[in-house]
Amino acid sequence: MTGAISGVGAYAPRFRISADAFEDAWGQFQAAGVTEKAVAGADEDALTMAYEAATRALEAAAVDPATVDWLGFASSRPPVAEEDLTARLGEMVGLDEAASRQVFTGSTRAGTRAIWAGLDALEADATTGLVVAADAPKGDPDHGVDHAAGAGAAAFVLEGDGPAEIVDRAEYATPYPGTRFRSTGADETQALGVTQYDRQAFSETIGGAVSGLELEADPEAAAIQAPDGKLPYRGAGAAGVGTDEIQAAATVHELGDLGAASVPVSLASALADGYESILGVAYGSGAGADALVLETDGDVPVESALEGGESLSYAEYLRQRGVVTTGPPSGGGAYVSVPSWQRSIPQRYRLEAGRCPECGALSFPPEGACGDCGTLAEYEPVELPGEGTIEAVTTIGQGGAPPEFSEQQARSGDYAAAIVDLEGPDGSETVSVPAMGTDAAPDAFGVGDRIETTIRRIYTQEGVTRYGFKIRPAE
Amino acid sequence: MRDAYLVGAGQSDYGAFPDESYRSLFRTAFDAATDSVPNGIGPADIDEAFVGTLGVGGRQLGLPGPAVTEHVGLDGVPCTRVENACAASGFATRQAVQAVKSGMADVALAGGFEVMSDMSSDATKYWLGVSGETEWERLSGTTFSGVYAQMASAHMEAYGTTREQLSRVAVKNHANGAKNPHAQLGFECSLEDAMGAPVVADPLNLYHCCPTSDGAACALIVSEDVVEEYTEDPIRVAGVGAGSDTVGLFQRDSYTGVPASQRAAETAYEMAGVGPEDLDFAEVHDCFAIAELLAYEDLGFCETGDAGEFIESGATELGGELPVNTSGGLKSKGHPIGATGAGQMVEAYKQLSGNAGDRQVEDPVRGLTHNVGGSGGASVIHIFEKETEVSA
Repeated sequence: MTGAISGVGAYAPRFRISADAFEDAWGQFQAAGVTEKAVAGADEDALTMAYEAATRALEAAAVDPATVDWLGFASSRPPVAEEDLTARLGEMVGLDEAASRQVFTGSTRAGTRAIWAGLDALEADATTGLVVAADAPKGDPDHGVDHAAGAGAAAFVLEGDGPAEIVDRAEYATPYPGTRFRSTGADETQALGVTQYDRQAFSETIGGAVSGLELEADPEAAAIQAPDGKLPYRGAGAAGVGTDEIQAAATVHELGDLGAASVPVSLASALADGYESILGVAYGSGAGADALVLETDGDVPVESALEGGESLSYAEYLRQRGVVTTGPPSGGGAYVSVPSWQRSIPQRYRLEAGRCPECGALSFPPEGACGDCGTLAEYEPVELPGEGTIEAVTTIGQGGAPPEFSEQQARSGDYAAAIVDLEGPDGSETVSVPAMGTDAAPDAFGVGDRIETTIRRIYTQEGVTRYGFKIRPAE
Repeated sequence: MRDAYLVGAGQSDYGAFPDESYRSLFRTAFDAATDSVPNGIGPADIDEAFVGTLGVGGRQLGLPGPAVTEHVGLDGVPCTRVENACAASGFATRQAVQAVKSGMADVALAGGFEVMSDMSSDATKYWLGVSGETEWERLSGTTFSGVYAQMASAHMEAYGTTREQLSRVAVKNHANGAKNPHAQLGFECSLEDAMGAPVVADPLNLYHCCPTSDGAACALIVSEDVVEEYTEDPIRVAGVGAGSDTVGLFQRDSYTGVPASQRAAETAYEMAGVGPEDLDFAEVHDCFAIAELLAYEDLGFCETGDAGEFIESGATELGGELPVNTSGGLKSKGHPIGATGAGQMVEAYKQLSGNAGDRQVEDPVRGLTHNVGGSGGASVIHIFEKETEVSA
């Protein structure tokens, strides 16, 4: 045994687009076996999806984030090519600054690479690891990579002991250039599409990894890398499993190609469904594969949010993904510098309000004179749980948004802007905060309605994306 | 302290003027103000100037005051730019009144200007809502239409105020503006027009929002020691009140009123020794329809929560018991941000000097102006009265 999973989180955006919508637009759909797929909203990316999955995994495992001493974040498409996003992800989920962190990218195999590293960390001196894989592949609009591209994330809390034990793992790599790649500086992933060569690379590497396992795997479910809905089944023989086992863990048919999150989300799905022996085999172009075996008594805590909500037309799909929008306007009247945004990160990510030492009232943001008694004193930091009630709300229509949000509005349309009364830790005291609505149509936000907070992209200026809380209808 | 008097006021047309600069607009307003002084006044008479502008477009962000006062020949007088967002020149007027009352000046100019129509659509977007609280309020996705819409949502929830009542503000103010040759949108609109307009920020539609405007306005404030040189029919600044509040709406105690306006009104009424029942007309800050309804309540024209019924009653129409925004208000006359406060003085001066033309209130003695910055971060109120009528 090399480690165990004590809690699982899974997340997919609410937007869906069907294969039919692609066929209407293109006359054909190039992602075999995908009936519909998840689409990230304009304010989502691998980092925000990672947050969604990670908070759920920590909640499922009932682990205090401050005790996590190892974090791995995996994505083939992190929102920035250079800059360590684990600093922000760690703060979003409440990790200690001294926790060890690693980023895994450059391959659809990055998710299992992160699990590997997490297990290695546990075998060294880490006590609690958090592995998060989040991805939203992207290709040229007329390319199969883009037709298949979905969006989703999974997170696992790793500990020495836990209800799902990772009992074996093996890996294999051999050179097969060109099956799937993204050149430095390019935004779209490409594939040469040499069919037999691609299949050979896939079969040889996953077969190599599976045959490296010491145990004889006889899984009830097999989570196999799924760049489309057909390829994993072609790897059945090499992985030594049947198509039923692959079907049991498959998410590609409803969520599309999840890139580095493909196998992690399938593992999460299989654990949620109660399978007791699961084989996971991830493939990354280059090429290489990871195989791992999970055994459980079927009682692994999983917090899963993989259901879809809203169907997109193909035109709406292009808008949401920013394919047909022109980016933010130039100019500048109001401006929030990156340093001033950075100073507000405890509020943006963690809802850190302040309690007045004189009168006990909460203030947000916790600066300046107390709004209740006027005292100028140092506030005692108080983290708000992120639930509350709408006090005032409007729908911002086209053209009514500040320019910081022009691009978002062009992509995702009207949004709700509200003032919400957020509750303090004990529920009796509240403080008012302005917040943008997400994850639901604007008319889902009314005065008196209950809301919860999440973290999303707020806006991007000078190339730097600012993340912060938004609100959505309470679950 | 000495008394201060309004002896002249004038404005440019409000609208979009590709052939005009902020300086030429200010000159038009300055000329109109000096021409309106019954016994005449010249640049050499003016001791001090206060100029309000937000600075939209960044055309002269530093020293915009001297940039216009030197242009009109106020050679070397002390000049201060006043910035309180949409209340900039309301506060410039208050500064002029203070300078005169304190004895530091006998004649003070209060003016304001803004040019908002000459920018690209991208640049315009960046200047929208720059007087909102930037770090939290703006970055939750709101400009002013959004913030006032939030106030409207709260007022509707608390008091049952309706979209139709909001629309009646537009109908009334357009009816008045149609009688004002300076008005930017000087046409009448029906209740159907006002209710059926495209939504800007729900519940506010296009007819619930004022336009963006170019324009300038000036007012001349003099001391009791010199007022007789300029007029035989003096209009006294009977009361002045001002207040401030948090810039962001979310940090206030109430979203269904503007506490800064309530404080300003209390001070102004007390100084003037009058109450709302003593007013013959009022110019209130109707940047959005809900703002006029909130003003009715904040200024004591009606009880809290009753503004919707109050507009419905017709009380604030021309010919009603208290005509409000006879000029057309920001909605119809226009809202060149820095000029708006001084522009309200122009209407007060015209009404009290009997020069308001087709929109003249019958024999008014006392009128009020109410100018709000942002969503209520600053508010200033002036009460003017015809001294001869009061003492007679």
